[in-house]
Amino acid sequence: MANKRVYEIMYIVAPETADDDLTKINETIVQVIESQGGTIANTDNMGRRKLAYPIDKKTEGHYVLLEVEGTGKEILELERRMRVNDAIIRFITVRVDEDRKTADKQKAKRDARQVRRNVASNRGGANQESEQESAGQNQ
Amino acid sequence: MTDKKPDNFDEVVASVDIDLVSEQKNERMPQRRYQRRRQGTFVPDYVDWKDIDYLRRFIPERGKIMPRRISGINAKDQRRIAQAIKRARSMALIPFVTD
Repeated sequence: MANKRVYEIMYIVAPETADDDLTKINETIVQVIESQGGTIANTDNMGRRKLAYPIDKKTEGHYVLLEVEGTGKEILELERRMRVNDAIIRFITVRVDEDRKTADKQKAKRDARQVRRNVASNRGGANQESEQESAGQNQ
Repeated sequence: MTDKKPDNFDEVVASVDIDLVSEQKNERMPQRRYQRRRQGTFVPDYVDWKDIDYLRRFIPERGKIMPRRISGINAKDQRRIAQAIKRARSMALIPFVTD
């Protein structure tokens, strides 16, 4: 299997870090990933958010989301770094390629069924028209 | 206590007890089964743990995950949604308990 594993990494940075420290942290993380051979597909700086419960007595945090493609090695190195860094108070890594693959397959099956229904109803009469309506409502 | 049993003791026991118990059970069970079963909450193919607006409908005020018999979704989707909620909770997007 090629290195097509896709991961979503979200981490929370403590709110009192200055903005340039934040960018420094982000860049370090990007460097770690790319040095291990991964590629970054997306980044999303979600900004400051109120936490649902206090972590380390803090009530807000800076959320950052990354989407990474690669093998698993960069995740290992990255998590090690994040654990050591005190500014990052929480992180999570989720592997999403399998789930997305099954979701795409289910969507493709559903679309194929819809196409077949449309073709059948175009050929058929009034009975099958109502079937197409109900299929359209289910969608 | 050694009471003298009446002669038709066995017959009385056989005729009375079992019917009563099963009747009570039957009366109770249908009422509990059809309690608040909603239909047709749509679950997408991929449940995104970051989409808390969608996940919120499965978390009533107390913060607990809604059981299947109330939300009315099937087992596979319930497992997916529960996993997504737990991930979102670990990242402080949803609280564990609300007061």
